[in-house]
Amino acid sequence: MTSSIILIFSDPKYLVLSLAIFSSMLIGLLILSEYIFIEPYVVGHIPSGTELGFALIVMITTLSALVLPMNIFRINFLKKSKQKMGGGLLGSVVGAIAGACSCGPIGFAVISTFGSVGATATAFLTSYEIPIRIIAIGILTITYFTTTKSLKIECNLKSN
Amino acid sequence: MNKKGVVIGVIVIGIIIGIVSSLSTSNETVNLDMSRTHGTISTAMGSPILGDPSAPITIVEFGDYQCHQCYNWFHNTKPTIFQNYIETGKANLVFVDLAFLGRDSQKASQASYCAEDQGMYWEYHDTLYNFQEPQIDGGWANSERLKAFASNLGLDMDLFESCLDSGKYVKRVQYNIQQARDHDVRGTPGFFIVGPDGQQQLGGAQPYSVFKQILDTMI
Repeated sequence: MTSSIILIFSDPKYLVLSLAIFSSMLIGLLILSEYIFIEPYVVGHIPSGTELGFALIVMITTLSALVLPMNIFRINFLKKSKQKMGGGLLGSVVGAIAGACSCGPIGFAVISTFGSVGATATAFLTSYEIPIRIIAIGILTITYFTTTKSLKIECNLKSN
Repeated sequence: MNKKGVVIGVIVIGIIIGIVSSLSTSNETVNLDMSRTHGTISTAMGSPILGDPSAPITIVEFGDYQCHQCYNWFHNTKPTIFQNYIETGKANLVFVDLAFLGRDSQKASQASYCAEDQGMYWEYHDTLYNFQEPQIDGGWANSERLKAFASNLGLDMDLFESCLDSGKYVKRVQYNIQQARDHDVRGTPGFFIVGPDGQQQLGGAQPYSVFKQILDTMI
């Protein structure tokens, strides 16, 4: 597993991609979940009682930054199908939308646009934010292990 | 004949007094200052003012009782603002409903004004944020629970129930929501800090340091 990670991230292209995914996703999610504010001043804080939500965001972001470049490497280098990319994307998207649709501007826009249907959807995503994020971490973890496993096999076959 | 007339007259007057007095108690009159504004915001239909009404700065909070970020602000930021600015007379606070998250949000806002009828607005407001549960429309703010909160605060339940069940404050809450929309508030909690020289809008459950920075420049 470690060898496949070293193999992929020894290429600066994938390292930069991983860092870009990590930083943009982390900052975006922390702003949406109101851990970072950019107006009127740039300020970050973790309100008491929201530490678990913060930790889950960091985990989702780290896993996404690991899994997505690995799958892109797999598609580019080994010319494999895009099928396994789905797990990584699904986990990242599910993890991202869980906290986004709450009382903030996105939730407000969804409810204003879609009325009661939007309200029901945002209520679900807000009420089950933590379990949804845990499921997203589960999806990303499974995708990570299946990707490293298949990379190991495929790389062995290719070197043979 | 005269004696009979006097008796009938007394009975009629008694009945009239009875009717008038019963009407005056069931009407639950509301003392609203319809001209009350803070900056560009009409807060006439909002909460009573928390703190000194003549304080130079007013914090107008737009909130939803089911919003977990409002809960975070209530528990993490508001106590320090209250201690350092409201209790000291430097600022006061008005809560205006932006009840949009679920069907129980508007009912909870209406209930807060039913509590205001009995002089217990802020006690009821605090109770709602102290007992907020994570699930939106999960039942924690349904009519039964709202009545139970009122009962725990020792409110007159006949008055409270008739107020809540009749939808007495439906339009008041809708007016407040419209105020939020008119002022481009796009989420809860949303704030306007209104000082002598203008107002500043703040979005989200921002930390105390941000409020302090703005409030100190306005004093």
